[in-house]
Amino acid sequence: MQVRVECCGVTARFAGAARVQMTLPEAATVRDLFALLSERSSEFAEVLARCACARGDAIVPRGTVLADGDELALLPPVAGG
Amino acid sequence: MSAQDFPRIQSAPLSLDALLSGSERDDCGALAIFAGTVRNHHEGRAVRSLTYSSYARVAEKMIREIEAEIAARFSVPVCLAVHRVGSLAIGETAILAIARGHHRAETFAAMQALVEAVKHRVPIWKEEFYADGTSAFVNGCTLVAAEDLPPAESRLHCTPVQSLAL
Repeated sequence: MQVRVECCGVTARFAGAARVQMTLPEAATVRDLFALLSERSSEFAEVLARCACARGDAIVPRGTVLADGDELALLPPVAGG
Repeated sequence: MSAQDFPRIQSAPLSLDALLSGSERDDCGALAIFAGTVRNHHEGRAVRSLTYSSYARVAEKMIREIEAEIAARFSVPVCLAVHRVGSLAIGETAILAIARGHHRAETFAAMQALVEAVKHRVPIWKEEFYADGTSAFVNGCTLVAAEDLPPAESRLHCTPVQSLAL
């Protein structure tokens, strides 16, 4: 299955783009997605450990099972204001 | 436009008049206003400008939830906040918040809680551009659920603020 991932904040630098398309096995979870992305570099893996994942307008835990066509976002630590 | 349906994440300069409009309450004797503006230094480095970005789908919802939560917790009838995104120059307003309460004590407290919550819980990111030509994202608070954090990892990382120099 395929999911679209919006890379927010600093994660875009590690992913190399603001949006990436990822191919995952059926019944893959957010944890599986993060593991796949973490293979890109140890620095990215370190940032991902502190990233939340959003699906639509909700933050979802690592154990969430993904579906084909999901629109996800990587949310690194926040610093508004 | 009612107080509930304007965007909380805005790319145009923030307007205090617009935020106050329609928020008046005859039963409130206190109005607290906070504006966070772009500072020209951070941890000893000269800052030329900032760029704020957000994940608006969550941020819009979360700011509304925070407003309702703080209004209920402090019993203040009005709690509103807006945050700017895009490139901001020194002195520009990044966040505006208002609270109207019956008395000043709970209104001050609500305002502080509102601003802290928006800073620490809403998916908004700040990239600082320094006088030496480099830039860095300001590290902040993780939104990862406690059960998903690595052991010994704290949810709050806002003090001291650290930069990810890339």
